[in-house]
Amino acid sequence: MRYYIRKLGFYAVALWAALTLNFFIPRLMPGNPVDTLMARLAQRGGSVDPSVRRAYELLLGTDSSEPLWNQYLSYLAGLARGDLGISVSVFPTPAAEVIRQSLPWTIVLVGLATLISFLLGVGLGMFTGWRRGTWLDQLVPATTVLAAVPYFWLALILVAVFGSALGWFPLLGGYDVILDPGWNGEFLASALYHGTLPALTIVISSVGGWLLGMRNMMVSTVDEDYVLTARAKGLRERRVMTHYAARNAVLPSVAGFAISLGFVVAGSIITEQVFSYPGIGGKLLQAVQNNDYALMQGIFLVITVAVLGANLVVDLLYGLIDPRTRAGG
Amino acid sequence: MFLQQNRGSGRRRGRVRAAGVSLAATAALLAGCSGGGDSGRGDGTLIVYTGQAGDYQINFNPYAPARLDGDGTIFESLFFYNLTKNEEPQPRLGTEYAWNEDGTELSVTLREGVTWSDGEKFTADDVVFTLDMIDKHPTLNAVGFEGEATAVDDTHVKITFDKPSFLDGPYVLGRVWMVPEHLWRGIKDPSKDVIREPVGTGPFALDTFKPQAFTLKANPDYWDGEPAVKRIRYLSLSGNQAGADALAAGKIDWQTGPVPDIAGVEKNYPGYRAITVPMNQTVLMTCAEKDRGCEGPQTDPAVRKAIYHALDRTQLNELAFQSTSSAISPGFALPERDKALLSDGLGDRLAPMQPQVSEAAQLLEEAGYTKNGEGIYAKDGKAVELTIKVVTGWTDYITAVDTMGQQLKKAGIKVTPQQLSWNEWSDARGQGRFELLIDSLYQGPSADPFYLYHYFYSSETTAKVGETAQPNYSRWSDTRVDRALAALKGIDREDTAGRQPHFDAIQEALEEEMPYIPVLTAGTTSEYNAEKFTGWPSEEDLYAFPAVWQRPDHSEIFKRLKPAG
Repeated sequence: MRYYIRKLGFYAVALWAALTLNFFIPRLMPGNPVDTLMARLAQRGGSVDPSVRRAYELLLGTDSSEPLWNQYLSYLAGLARGDLGISVSVFPTPAAEVIRQSLPWTIVLVGLATLISFLLGVGLGMFTGWRRGTWLDQLVPATTVLAAVPYFWLALILVAVFGSALGWFPLLGGYDVILDPGWNGEFLASALYHGTLPALTIVISSVGGWLLGMRNMMVSTVDEDYVLTARAKGLRERRVMTHYAARNAVLPSVAGFAISLGFVVAGSIITEQVFSYPGIGGKLLQAVQNNDYALMQGIFLVITVAVLGANLVVDLLYGLIDPRTRAGG
Repeated sequence: MFLQQNRGSGRRRGRVRAAGVSLAATAALLAGCSGGGDSGRGDGTLIVYTGQAGDYQINFNPYAPARLDGDGTIFESLFFYNLTKNEEPQPRLGTEYAWNEDGTELSVTLREGVTWSDGEKFTADDVVFTLDMIDKHPTLNAVGFEGEATAVDDTHVKITFDKPSFLDGPYVLGRVWMVPEHLWRGIKDPSKDVIREPVGTGPFALDTFKPQAFTLKANPDYWDGEPAVKRIRYLSLSGNQAGADALAAGKIDWQTGPVPDIAGVEKNYPGYRAITVPMNQTVLMTCAEKDRGCEGPQTDPAVRKAIYHALDRTQLNELAFQSTSSAISPGFALPERDKALLSDGLGDRLAPMQPQVSEAAQLLEEAGYTKNGEGIYAKDGKAVELTIKVVTGWTDYITAVDTMGQQLKKAGIKVTPQQLSWNEWSDARGQGRFELLIDSLYQGPSADPFYLYHYFYSSETTAKVGETAQPNYSRWSDTRVDRALAALKGIDREDTAGRQPHFDAIQEALEEEMPYIPVLTAGTTSEYNAEKFTGWPSEEDLYAFPAVWQRPDHSEIFKRLKPAG
């Protein structure tokens, strides 16, 4: 029991530290929301009378000379109530609402892509590890090269080939704008169709890592005594590979997968930007550009909680799976 | 790169960004977006791109800074002021207006037979309610309204002011969006409501909203008859470059911003035309006033004027602005629109397009500067070396400042461009922490240079270095200008003879001091589909300022467009 309490205590401290950084780091950025808004309005060709500034200062409540410390306390109090504050860039919409609108897109896109990439990488890794020394080994350098290609570059190439040249896939957006978002077949089909290329980008660039890790673990497990024993018992090759070798080899990858799930929420800003995808990445960009502290904090909070949560789950599960991690010393 | 969203300036002039991300969008759109988005083609829907990058968040509150649209389209003002011409405003909800002699009372006659889009009748009470509302809520009062409105009868409203307010007219009449009392009365805090279902009197009403696009539909009961354009769809794309590329693919009918090879739009985009209208003035802003804390060689007017003379504007226009800019007057009246107001007392009615290096040298030498070993002028051991701040990714401005660096070097002035992120740059500008920066000055709510002078040259709109100036960033002020501005507020805008001496005084003071060094008058370029729609503004008939993001001018254009064929 003490093991779990200690773990939970550690995560509580980590969460507090992350929340505090969330609060202070955005405020170190130059500029303030009102100035950004004013300059933006002016540059839209609008006439920005000086009284506009006064109006928006009052509106956004940023002219307060309230000390940072008090702002920090009210930020923590707000979080405790689940209140992320009002977004400045799309005032007066609450930051939580903005996040709610875009988070599902990222979770589904990046989440599914990560899952596919994991299954594919682990599966291929298992085979290449089992049949090491055959032509399958070529898969390792091939996928590593793809993983080394920068995300956005890969995305651009996919767009140029499958969108531009072949015209197989749409190139922008999350769905066809004439459809109504909702749980109807037409919309879901459109969303799936639009999500294919972005998902493919993520899968191609991340599958190499899973494959390499799994293959190397596989290579060392096939030399274990229990694999030899299984073979000696005359079990079928397939059964030895999956139930004896792969089962043990996959453990580190599972831990890695749980952690990478935490990063799903952070999405992949660049991929989303390339495809004009309506996810959280674009919102984070918008928040940073507009000094929208509330939205930035909200998004960082969601990311932090997701990463910490995933780590916590892995930690706790490991305690169960492998009692050695629980033992003191 | 892609982090430089095209936000404001992008929209204004559409900076061409060098970004991989844009390339993707390019490729995407060039491909014609086979996977959909073809909706709207051929059914008379006008598709516009305002520069929106990223999703839309619903907001149709005409008084919210983050509103998506509504000015003039869904909600109407009393009159429409054409920014491009000094002419009588077009009647909208009002039909006539008159000031009393001293500019403290404004009487407005309202249009009869107007209904809100929910069927209720529009009356003087709605006007009074709207004006009272913005007066009561400082957060809504972006026009600085300080009057008192009373309904004389159903179609007459009287607005009284404490002081002469002739120049508040274009704000009150042209920029206050009338809202229905019967619906807005119940809203507790109108600044915090996003008005999901807007009800207005305008030519269009909200049809559908989706985060990637929203659509306005024609109002069948509009007082001026149902508009010929039945639907207007606003698209969100990933940025400017995407806009230009969507245009190439024929996916949008109207966007404002430069495209590669502006002169060849008709050839490169079959069916499309481009129009460029000079409106905002590109300047080198200087932190000019020593007394307010500015430091550096640019605090000396001789240096500012030497820069003014040493610039090769023809070369700048060609290299940086695709020759879409035009001449600028050192008195900052627009050379075309405000021709009648240009002062005869100006030394240069228009800034020289060719460099005058010898005059620059003469100015500096008379002020006691001598060339040092490196060929740079110096005085008291301090060389005339300046940094110009420019926003990363604003490629036209970056080209411009690089070119200026070479031009000014010939005149013995050393300038070094410094690229900053947009936030950092706008912070430096607001706080006065710069020597030079490149930006543009903008105009007011009607075709009258008074507003520009009031915004950028008044002592009321400036602040010390370290405090935020809004928007007289140069920190410069002059009693002659302040006096003239105060006097202009009390003179009817119709009284051109009475106003001219004050405009002369301002222009002469500006030419003498040059707190903002005139570069060129920037043109705003729009590309539009002339094959699908007719009735676009042209150079001969410039009935509104043609920029898709210019509200409410866009609504006037929407009203007049007709599907072709």
